[in-house]
Amino acid sequence: MPERLWRTPLDIEKVVMPKAEIHILKDQCKGCGFCIQYCPKKVLEESEEINARGVHPPRVVDEKKCIICSFCTAICPDFAIFVKEKQCKDGC
Amino acid sequence: MVKEEVRIGVYVCHCGLNIAGSVDCKEVAEFAATLPNVVLARDYRYTCSDQGQALIKNDIKEYRLNRVVVASCSPRLHEPTFRKVCEEAGLNKYLFEMANIREQCSWVHLHDRKAATEKAKDLVKMAVAKAALLKPASEIEVPIIRKALVIGGGVAGIQAALDLADTGYRVYLVEKEPSIGGMMARIDKTFPTMDCSICILAPKMSDVGHHPNIELLTNSEVVDVKGYIGNFRVKVLKKPRYVKEDCSACGECSKVCPITAPNEFDAGLALRHAIYTPFAQAVPSTYIIDMNLCLNKDGIMVCDKCVKACERQAIDFTMKPETVELEVGTIIVAIGADVFDPSALPQYGYGKYLNVITSLEFERLINAGGPSGGRLIRPSDMKIPKRVAFIQCVGSRSNKSGKTYCSNVCCMNTIKDSLLIKEHWPGTEIYVFYVDIRAYGKGFEDLYKRAKKEGVKFIRGLPAEIIEDKRTRNLWLIGENTLLKEPYKMNFDMVILSVGLEPRRDSEVIQRLLTLSRTQDGFFMEAHPKLRPVDAATGGIFFAGCAEAPKDIKDSVTQASAAAARAGILMARGKVTVEAITPILDVEKCKACGLCTKVCPYNAITLNKELKRVEIVEAACGGCGTCAAECPSDALTQNHFTDEQIIAQIDAVTEKDAGKKIVAFCCNWCAYAGADFAGVSRMQYPSNVRIIRTMCSGRVAPKFVERAFARGAAAVLVAGCHPGDCHYINANYHTQRRVERLWKKMEQNGLNKERLQLLWVSAAEGERFASKIYEMQKIVESITPEEIEKAKKVFAKAGGA
Repeated sequence: MPERLWRTPLDIEKVVMPKAEIHILKDQCKGCGFCIQYCPKKVLEESEEINARGVHPPRVVDEKKCIICSFCTAICPDFAIFVKEKQCKDGC
Repeated sequence: MVKEEVRIGVYVCHCGLNIAGSVDCKEVAEFAATLPNVVLARDYRYTCSDQGQALIKNDIKEYRLNRVVVASCSPRLHEPTFRKVCEEAGLNKYLFEMANIREQCSWVHLHDRKAATEKAKDLVKMAVAKAALLKPASEIEVPIIRKALVIGGGVAGIQAALDLADTGYRVYLVEKEPSIGGMMARIDKTFPTMDCSICILAPKMSDVGHHPNIELLTNSEVVDVKGYIGNFRVKVLKKPRYVKEDCSACGECSKVCPITAPNEFDAGLALRHAIYTPFAQAVPSTYIIDMNLCLNKDGIMVCDKCVKACERQAIDFTMKPETVELEVGTIIVAIGADVFDPSALPQYGYGKYLNVITSLEFERLINAGGPSGGRLIRPSDMKIPKRVAFIQCVGSRSNKSGKTYCSNVCCMNTIKDSLLIKEHWPGTEIYVFYVDIRAYGKGFEDLYKRAKKEGVKFIRGLPAEIIEDKRTRNLWLIGENTLLKEPYKMNFDMVILSVGLEPRRDSEVIQRLLTLSRTQDGFFMEAHPKLRPVDAATGGIFFAGCAEAPKDIKDSVTQASAAAARAGILMARGKVTVEAITPILDVEKCKACGLCTKVCPYNAITLNKELKRVEIVEAACGGCGTCAAECPSDALTQNHFTDEQIIAQIDAVTEKDAGKKIVAFCCNWCAYAGADFAGVSRMQYPSNVRIIRTMCSGRVAPKFVERAFARGAAAVLVAGCHPGDCHYINANYHTQRRVERLWKKMEQNGLNKERLQLLWVSAAEGERFASKIYEMQKIVESITPEEIEKAKKVFAKAGGA
């Protein structure tokens, strides 16, 4: 089926993905950058601030892009990042 | 052994007035009687009739004929008929020869009786000269593997596979997509009966899935085909699904998958996830992971949501692509068609104006299981349109844009669609802008009348332009009503483009793998348009559905059953004879240079270094004869197309008035068929061309061309299939190399190299053949007697004339 798909799908608003809540324990980070490099949706980037260990911890670029795969949690050597599903009330 | 006396019988057929209308058949027969070795020459009204056949059989016995020449239509049509006649009278069928005086004489020289009669005499003379040198041959028998391959799992492929499997043969059904069903699965209702499309297709799909004789290979592609009729070795690439067959299709995985993309099945009008099933009734129902979307690439497991959600633990990211090797006896090609992309027509604004949709998008919108739940809505504001226009022939029947042919299904599809709208929203105003409405099939006219009765307005004249109202997103159609001869400018809420069908964009791959030919339209070409409509020219291969031409569901199913029956005939018989046109090796002359092994497209010749000679595998030989043309020491020749037979034909042509004639060598599959097509289409061209048929242009040895010039021929034409379309894979590349060498030789010797022409012409390009002959006629007229004499001298040594 090689037709060109150019339209906005009609159900784009109906397909709702869980929203993420990313927690970074800045001072635990040693700045290895794994989470930034391996994030499949490129949600993170290096921040400019310097933490207690003297490195740049990551910061969230766009939390909406996060799909809660939690791969960052899995590969972080210092247990410095974890993601929770946002407990939504109305309108979140 | 005492050399047998050659006794030739010649039959000049009138074919009613088809031949006799422009050729004096009596005169040709009288002339034939004067030729050497001819003991009997008759002219007869319909030689192929039962009486005609009986006459030949009787004459063979009464006059002890040991060669038969029939001058009538193309050997591509009736050679098998007359060969059978000979066999029935106890004569080996290779002792029969045909002169084509209909397609290549009477039909192309309708208005010049004298020239046509002279040409017919020459053609008979050539046939008689060859016939005298014919030798009896026996054909080898090849067993047929009783398994079939069906390529494509649309409705045609499904029907063909089911029919063959029900007959008792093992069938492999290969489908590129994750599910079978094809285009029919995406359509809402079928015309003219308004059946629900998927409701009648789904049971058949399910039958395929459960049939003990069918092995279904979805998400798979044919990547290599070797072998020949009855013995194909096929390689199929099975791409991994990453979901095992344990999948219960519960859909829990899809719910948790965080990645979405437009669903191809719904023409992009709905979303699907990276792990998905294309539609609810898919067969197999096993889900599939789209690796272009999934996050788990390159062996890194990033996301395991689907794995966690799957109760049956069916997801397996370690699956690898797999190549399956199949051995089959027959192949059915049912690859279907693509739809035209109307963004190529800027005047309709498709891709720019949201409320201009294609007929395929319409099908998904009106379908109850589709993205809008069966509500026809305007993509711009999700409102149900009150005024709808259909535009016909989008991408069809146009010399400017799209394709020139009629796509066959769009008229009826639109009529069906208009009735569907009327059924759901009776108040909708519907206008159909058309060129011609073609309601030719059973029940079609009734449906057309019903649409008119329901108030659908039909307006002849396609809009020249669509303009969008930026505020309302409504569409203005501007054009001319060609019946009333007055311009129109009308406003609509929605426009549906009735898009045509076109050949699959990847049909070239299948064409190359199976050595098939295609028509100018790009669809696959059948062996004979009337009498062998589902056979490919390549033995053991058949067509079903839109692969051959655009057609509706009923015709696709009919053709699929026909293809299955044709394949079934071969497999039931269990064996096939291979034409005795294989090479003959003169062991004494062979110097074991190995040149023939390099040009053989089938690797059917191998070099035996110990015995210092080559060896031929007859069953693998395709019969092109390019090895014989390559052999520098005359050790190889081709059965039934021997050097001496072809030279005898050349000599017969050049015996009289050679300086005015064109000697043409045409390959059986494209050039000769193209010349036949020129005849069938009654295209007129100069009568001084004499065609010598070889199986492939690769058979044309340089010495044949040299012989013709040495005998004083004015011009020589070598014609074959287009590069890449060669019936023998690539044999015609050698033709090109040889002709280029001859051109060089002619230039070096100060000859006008234009006298040798090379033409690539397909079986559908009669026009191209005819115009080449006109072009060459001009060259012939410009050649001086001195030039002819010079060529005679230059080539005298080589051709040995």
